[in-house]
Amino acid sequence: MKLTIDDKISILADGAKYDVSCSSSGSESNYKTGELGNTHNSGICHTFTSDGRCVSLLKVLLSNVCIYDCAYCINRVSNDIRRTAFTPRELADITLNFYKRNYIEGLFLSSGIIKNEDHTMLLLLQTLRILRHEHKFNGYIHVKLIPGSAKELIAEACLLANRVSSNIELPSSKSLALLAPDKTKAKLLEPLKHAREITMERNAKPISMSTQMIIGATGESDFDILKLSSALYDKALLKRVYYSAYIAVNNHKNLPVRELSTPPLKREHRLYQADWLLRFYGFKYDEIVTPQNQNLDIQFDPKTFWALSNLHLFPVDINKVSQEILMRIPGIGMRGAMKILQARKFKTLNFEDLVKLKISIKKAKYFIIADKNYQKQIPLYEDRLKIALMHNDKSIIQPNLFDFSIYTGEL
Amino acid sequence: MNLFYDGSFEGFLSLIYEVYHQKMNVTTILKKNPHKFIFDEVLHVETDLSKAHKVFSSLKKRFSKNDINTIVRVFLCDSITFEMCLLEFIILGFKKNENLQNINYPSVFYIKGLEKEHMRLTHKMLGFVRFEELEDKTFYAKIETKFNVLMFLGEHFSKRLGNNPFIIHDIKRHLAYVKHEDMKEIRDVASFDEPLYSQDEAKFKSLWKNFFHSVAITNRTNIKLQKNLVPLVYRTYMSEFHD
Repeated sequence: MKLTIDDKISILADGAKYDVSCSSSGSESNYKTGELGNTHNSGICHTFTSDGRCVSLLKVLLSNVCIYDCAYCINRVSNDIRRTAFTPRELADITLNFYKRNYIEGLFLSSGIIKNEDHTMLLLLQTLRILRHEHKFNGYIHVKLIPGSAKELIAEACLLANRVSSNIELPSSKSLALLAPDKTKAKLLEPLKHAREITMERNAKPISMSTQMIIGATGESDFDILKLSSALYDKALLKRVYYSAYIAVNNHKNLPVRELSTPPLKREHRLYQADWLLRFYGFKYDEIVTPQNQNLDIQFDPKTFWALSNLHLFPVDINKVSQEILMRIPGIGMRGAMKILQARKFKTLNFEDLVKLKISIKKAKYFIIADKNYQKQIPLYEDRLKIALMHNDKSIIQPNLFDFSIYTGEL
Repeated sequence: MNLFYDGSFEGFLSLIYEVYHQKMNVTTILKKNPHKFIFDEVLHVETDLSKAHKVFSSLKKRFSKNDINTIVRVFLCDSITFEMCLLEFIILGFKKNENLQNINYPSVFYIKGLEKEHMRLTHKMLGFVRFEELEDKTFYAKIETKFNVLMFLGEHFSKRLGNNPFIIHDIKRHLAYVKHEDMKEIRDVASFDEPLYSQDEAKFKSLWKNFFHSVAITNRTNIKLQKNLVPLVYRTYMSEFHD
């Protein structure tokens, strides 16, 4: 039976949906008069699906045909599913028409491996060429680099796309060997390293790259995961690491039993919080997790947990300490810290002022001094504070699934 | 003193002129003729373009570009009564420009907050606006928003849609941003008929809906989160939420 174009988009979007990256941010506007499309620096969410994830890009596979047999993947060759493919021209046409209707910011293109790596990469590039060259499309394009494809193809992808990525998939080589015998960590990281080298040669600013790790399919601790992320950020190799709670789609002897497995959403949420602390709050990974305490606490967010383990640093005087210290106070984020900095230029802030500035002091009140005052009901002991925090802040027990930036809705 | 003006920006500037020159002590500012204040003292401030112009040029002299943008944005929050706070904000700025950075003043904090709310709404609408292709290849979008964000949307899409003509129609305010070749402007819409859509329109709507439903992961369904992120008020013209 011949598949309609509606069938195709359903199948190929379904095959791509476990890739969590959705961002369209970080590209300076590149508007040219009379041409179609530009990018928006802060990224734009066009809608949100029933799982609460942002839709920013047309995220599809060019094809879900794949020669590999990775245990965790829905598209593995041994699965009996409907297989199909877009032609590059078909997909470019849909992208342009979606873009003009303001459904999307651009294209997120990935694919199963058809025939071989180079052939697949070439098909992806053909789609990009049609968009960029024939239609002068300047919207956002994120393309997957196919590990193992030729260097000149990767070079061309870096020229045509705004962001490229290659998924590490699993946080250690051991797990890869168990679940994806055709892949090794070196092979998965290679296209990213190569892409970075090429773009560095061309100009000073390296192309923006990201990767994704599946959480909970294998035995790595949060310590292992955050150590790896931190190494990737430190080398400035990547802009983002995405964490994807493992969702069982297959049964396999080396995977959690499908029927019994629920995605570890809370753990994923805590990892994203920790990731934010690494990228924006000046934390080092070994402050958040330690070899003795390998996993993130489920009950308390990583910053609160860190503060509870470092009570000798508190309370701090919000009228005196630097921005770096302000941002380490539980419950005070970047926006809160900025407001405090701005307001304290004009007066010494007390607790009431913080409330007026709409800064939440639910958690913060235990850790701060404001205008010589501090809360006196709860002594500064770890166990007493834990109880106090648990009872007066219900949201600790029921966290939102995601941390969203208000402007971009990005994970 | 209770004042009322015609609701226009020029009207509000004229009001500032009168308040300043007559040293008024203002208690309320209203947009319409207030019947309920019939026994109180109510002064109707006439819109006077030359007075408005004088006020605006001294604003430009004394206020930074950012502060003027704040004033304009707040003025576009037309479904809210911001007038008293905005008046106080402007008076504070005239007294001492530095005051406008002092968020310990309730009116400064309120005005900056309102500006941010307007920016957030604008940003959301950049994503949530939906164009439909008409028979003549014009892209047409209808919007209904709490605040007036039409100008910002129009500028954004002028950069984005290249040579494609487009119309953004603000249904409730009876305004439309129209872009056609080199012409772009905001027009009043007295009346309008439902336009004719292009042949392809149904096809792409259907593709979009299929895509939208296919990318959702059922194991992670979280309708409450979705409602927080796309509240129902935004969904009127978003085809993926309608059958």
